Amino acid sequence: MDSVLTLPVLVAGRLFLSLVPLPEALKHDHQLSSPVTSYSHLQEGIYLFNNGVDPYSGGVFRHSPLFLSLFSTLLPTGRVSSSVLWTLSDAVGAWALVRIWRARQRVKTSSRDGLISAVYLLNPYLVLPTLALSTSTFENAIALLSIMFASQGQSSASLLALAFLVHLSLSSVLIIIPLLLLIIGEPISRLASPAPISSNLRKTLPLFLEFTTYFGVLTLASTLVSGGWAWIPQTWGVGLTLPDLTPNPGLWWYFFTEMFDHFRPFFLVVFSVHLLLYIMPLCIKFQHDPLFAIFLLLGVLGTFKAYLTLADPGLFLSMIAIFPEIFPYLRHPIVTALLHLHSSLLLPLFHHLWLAQGTGNANFFYAITLVFGVSNGAALIDCTYAGLRIAIGDGDEKTAVIQE
Amino acid sequence: MDKIKAKLRALVTPKPDATASRIRRRRAITAKIYAKLPWITTTLFAVGYAWMLCIPFSELENRIYIDENALQPGQVNTQWEWSDVHHADMYLRQLEILRDSNATSEQRADFLANEFNKLGIASSTQSYTFSTSSSTAAGTNAYAVLSSPRTSGNEAIVISASWLSRIDESSTSDPETINIRGVATVLALAKFLRGYSLWAKDLVFVISDGHLDGMHAWLSAYHGVSQSNMDADYLKLSSGVIWTALNIDYPGHSFSHLGVFFEGLNGRLPNQDLLNSLRVIANRAGVPVVTYDHISPPELPSSLPSFLRDNRDVKLYAENARSVLRHVGYEARGSGSGVHGLLHQFRIDAITIFAIPAAGPHGFHAIGRVIESTLRTANNLLERLHASFFFYIMTSSDTFLKIGAFLPSAVLVSVAMMFVGLGEWVRAGWVRGPDRVAEKAGSEVEWLKRRRPLMKPLGIVLGTHVFGAGVFGALNAFADHHSLLTPVVFLVSALPITLSFLNSAPKPPTNEIAQLSTLLKSLNLCLASTIISVTSVLNFSLALTLAILLGLPLSLASPSTSAAVKTAKYACYLALAFGWLLMDTEVKSALWNWEVLGVWVAPFVCVVYAPLVLQAGLVTIL
Repeated sequence: MDSVLTLPVLVAGRLFLSLVPLPEALKHDHQLSSPVTSYSHLQEGIYLFNNGVDPYSGGVFRHSPLFLSLFSTLLPTGRVSSSVLWTLSDAVGAWALVRIWRARQRVKTSSRDGLISAVYLLNPYLVLPTLALSTSTFENAIALLSIMFASQGQSSASLLALAFLVHLSLSSVLIIIPLLLLIIGEPISRLASPAPISSNLRKTLPLFLEFTTYFGVLTLASTLVSGGWAWIPQTWGVGLTLPDLTPNPGLWWYFFTEMFDHFRPFFLVVFSVHLLLYIMPLCIKFQHDPLFAIFLLLGVLGTFKAYLTLADPGLFLSMIAIFPEIFPYLRHPIVTALLHLHSSLLLPLFHHLWLAQGTGNANFFYAITLVFGVSNGAALIDCTYAGLRIAIGDGDEKTAVIQE
Repeated sequence: MDKIKAKLRALVTPKPDATASRIRRRRAITAKIYAKLPWITTTLFAVGYAWMLCIPFSELENRIYIDENALQPGQVNTQWEWSDVHHADMYLRQLEILRDSNATSEQRADFLANEFNKLGIASSTQSYTFSTSSSTAAGTNAYAVLSSPRTSGNEAIVISASWLSRIDESSTSDPETINIRGVATVLALAKFLRGYSLWAKDLVFVISDGHLDGMHAWLSAYHGVSQSNMDADYLKLSSGVIWTALNIDYPGHSFSHLGVFFEGLNGRLPNQDLLNSLRVIANRAGVPVVTYDHISPPELPSSLPSFLRDNRDVKLYAENARSVLRHVGYEARGSGSGVHGLLHQFRIDAITIFAIPAAGPHGFHAIGRVIESTLRTANNLLERLHASFFFYIMTSSDTFLKIGAFLPSAVLVSVAMMFVGLGEWVRAGWVRGPDRVAEKAGSEVEWLKRRRPLMKPLGIVLGTHVFGAGVFGALNAFADHHSLLTPVVFLVSALPITLSFLNSAPKPPTNEIAQLSTLLKSLNLCLASTIISVTSVLNFSLALTLAILLGLPLSLASPSTSAAVKTAKYACYLALAFGWLLMDTEVKSALWNWEVLGVWVAPFVCVVYAPLVLQAGLVTIL
C-alpha cells in the first residue's frame, strides 16, 4: 500500500473501531487500565472537582491535576468524543513514531513509514487500552512526541513534552538522561560503530535546567488547580508507596499483597530503586546511540513498572519497528514471540478463571503475570544483546561472540 | 596492591581456555539436542499418548473426601417422613391429570404457581421464547421464593426440576419423557421445607419448562442477562445470590441408584465438595450413588479372552474408562450434561440428581431424605464452596482424578508439537553447507544461514482462519440447508490443490530463502501447540480431543512430489478438517448450543480447529 495513505486509512479504521459499541466491562479490565490510568476514576475525579469537592481527599482519584484541569475545561468527556480523542492520541503517537524513524534514517519519506504506523496502530497491546480509554494512551503519545522533538533537535518542545510526561507518570524519569543525550547528539543509528560520545556533555546542564523550569511551572500550576499540595502523595506518591493493590499484569501487586507490613517500606525502596539502576549502564553502553538507550529503558519500564498495563510493554514492542538493523542479530525472536502469544492468551483467561468463573484463584493470575514478565524480559534482553552484537558484525563462522 | 588487583581480576575473569571450552560445550549441547530432536519429540508424543491411555488406571485415582469443614454432611436427623411421601403422591396424581389432559405450558405453570401460593410461598410464572435460525422454543416457567426465616436472604439455594427429563438424551427423537416425579418431589419439598425455621438461605423452587431452554431463560432473567434471540419476561420475584443448586430428575416409577451429573457448559465443573456431600449423605441414607447412569459394569467385548474378562483390574479399567469417556464426551462438546450445567456460568455450584429408573427399592421417601439432608448441608455454608477441587474427573462416585493425573497427557503432546515446530523453524533457517570431505575429517559441518520471509506463511495462516470464520457464518446463515453447504465447503477447500497442479513444480529449497512449506508447518505447529495448552486449563476434554486429532497429523505433514500422494494426503486432511460437517445432528445441536446457550465449541471448531488442519493440508501441497 502507498505509505502516504496508510496512516490516514489506519486512523480511519481505528476511529471506526472506537465508535463500535463495546462491552462496558472493557473499561474496568485490570489488564488494560490500572487505578492510576482508569477512565472511570478520572470521571469520578472530574465530577468531584466540578462540584467543589477536593478529588484527592478520597483516595480513589490518582490522576494528575493536569488531566483534571484539561478535562474540566478544554477536553470533552462524552462517550463518543472521548473515544475519538483517545484514538486521535494514538494517531499522534503513530505519526511521532514515523517522524522518529525518518529522523533516524535522515530521509524525508521512506517505504517503511506505512509499516511503522501500522505496527503502532494495530498493536493489540495498544489498541485495547485505548478502547478502554486508559490514560496511558496519552502517556505513550507524549513520550513519543518528546522523543520525536529530541530527534529533530527541537530541544524546548522536547523538554516541555518530557516535563508533561514525568508529571503524568513519575517513573518516566528513567528516560531523562538519554533524552538529554539525544538532544545534544543525533538520532541516527550508530549501533554498528560504537564510539565514545562526541558531544560536549556540559551542554546538557542548561537543558536540564530548562526541563526543571518547565517541571516547576507545571507543578505550581497543578498546585494552583487543585488548591493545595495534597495531589503530590495521591499521584506521584502512588507509584512509590503502592496504596492500591488492584491486580494488574505487572510484578508488584501480588508481591506486596503477600508481604508482612513491616517489610513493606524496605521492599518499596528496593523495587523503586531497582528501576533507576538501569539508567547509567544503558546510557554508558549506548552513549553512541541514545535513542536506543531510550528504547531499552522504555522496555525496562514496560517490564518492571508499578501499575503496569498492557500499554507499557506495547510501546516498547511497537518501537522495535524503528530499529530494523538489529533484527538479524536477535537470538531467539520466535521464542519471545511464542512467550508473548502464550501469555497474552493466558492473561485474560486466568483473569477470567479467577474473578469471573471462580474456579481459579489469585495464584493463577499471578503465575501468568510472571510469565508475562519473563516474555517482556526476554524481548528486552534480546534487543539489548542484538544492539551490542551488531557492532561486531557477522564475523567468521568459526568465531563466537561472548559477553563477559 | 597491583598484585591483589591482578589476583582479583584473575578471579573475576575466567581463563580464556575456560570460555572457549564453555562455548564448545554449549555448541555440542545444542548440536546434540538438534540431532536428537526426532527422538525427543517421539518420546514426548509416546509418553503423552500413553498417558491418555493410562488415565482410567485405578493407580492414578484418589478417594473422595470432604474438604470444607463447614459442610458437615449427614450430621443431622432428617424429618422427611411417610406423610410427606403421601403429599408427594397427591401432587403426582394432580400432575398426572395435567399430563393426561395435554395441558399447555401456561396452564401447567399456572397450576404449579397456584400450588406454591397455596402453601403460602410467593410464586410467579415467566414466559419465554427462543428463536434460532432453525427453530423456535417457547414455554412458561413457574418458580417460588421461600424467604429465609433466619437471615435477610442475601444468599439462596435453588431446588429445580425441568419439565422434561434428561432420560431421552441419547435418543434422536424429541424428548418427551416427563420428569413428573421430579416435579412432584419439588412441590412436596416446598410444602415440607417451609415448616422449618432453620433456613439461613432463601430457598428458590424452579419448575422450568422444556429441558434446557426454560432454565436458561429463567437464569438469564434472574441475572439480568439479555440475549438477542431470547424474549423472556422479567421475574416478578427475586432473591439473593444463588450459591448452590440441586436439580432433581426423577422420571420413572421408582429407582435403585441415584446418578449424579455435574458437567457444565464450556467445560465448567462445580466444586467437588457438593458431589462428595451428596455421596456421603446418600450413603448414610442407604441409597447407592453412581456417576451418570452407570449402574451395571460395562460389557467387555466377547472377543477378549475370558481370563482378561474376569480380571478385576481389567474390569475396573473398563469401568473407569467408561466414566472418563462419558465425561470427555460431555465436556468436549461443551454442552454440559443437563440442566445443572446452565447454572455454572453464574458461579453457582449445581448438580443433577438423577433417579435412575428401576423396579425398586427406592422412591419418594429416599430421595426426599437425601435432598433434605443435602440442603441442610448447603445451608451450613458461610462462604461459597471454594476448598475442594474445581478441576477433576470422576471415575466413580467415590474416586476421582486430580488435575495432575490427567493434565500432563495433553500438555506433553502439545510440548512435542511445539518442539517439532521449533525444529522446523531451525531447519528453515539453516542449510548444510557444501561438503568438504577433502578437508580433514572430523571437522564441524558448515551451516549456512538463509532468510525466513514470514509474510507469506502468516498470510496463509490468517487466510485459512478467515475462511473458517466464513464457514461458521455460512453455517449460521443457512442452518436449514446445510446439506447443500457441505459440498460447497469441500469444493472451496479443494481449490488450493487444483491450483497447485496448474502451478509449476514446487521450487526446490534454495540456499537463500527458506521453503514456504517448512515455514508454514513451523507456524502451524507452534500455533496448534499454543491452542492446546491454553485450552487445557479451560476445558481439558476439548484439549485432549484436539491433542488426539491434531498431534500426529500436523506433525507428520510434509510436502510430496507425486501428484497422487499429494491428492490423497490433501484429501485426508480435508476430511479431518471438515468431516464433522457430515454429522448432521451433531452440527445442529452444536449450533443450537451456540445460539441459545452460548457454548463456544461450534465457532471454535470452525475458526480455530478446521483452519489448523487445513494449514497442515496446505503444507503437503506447497
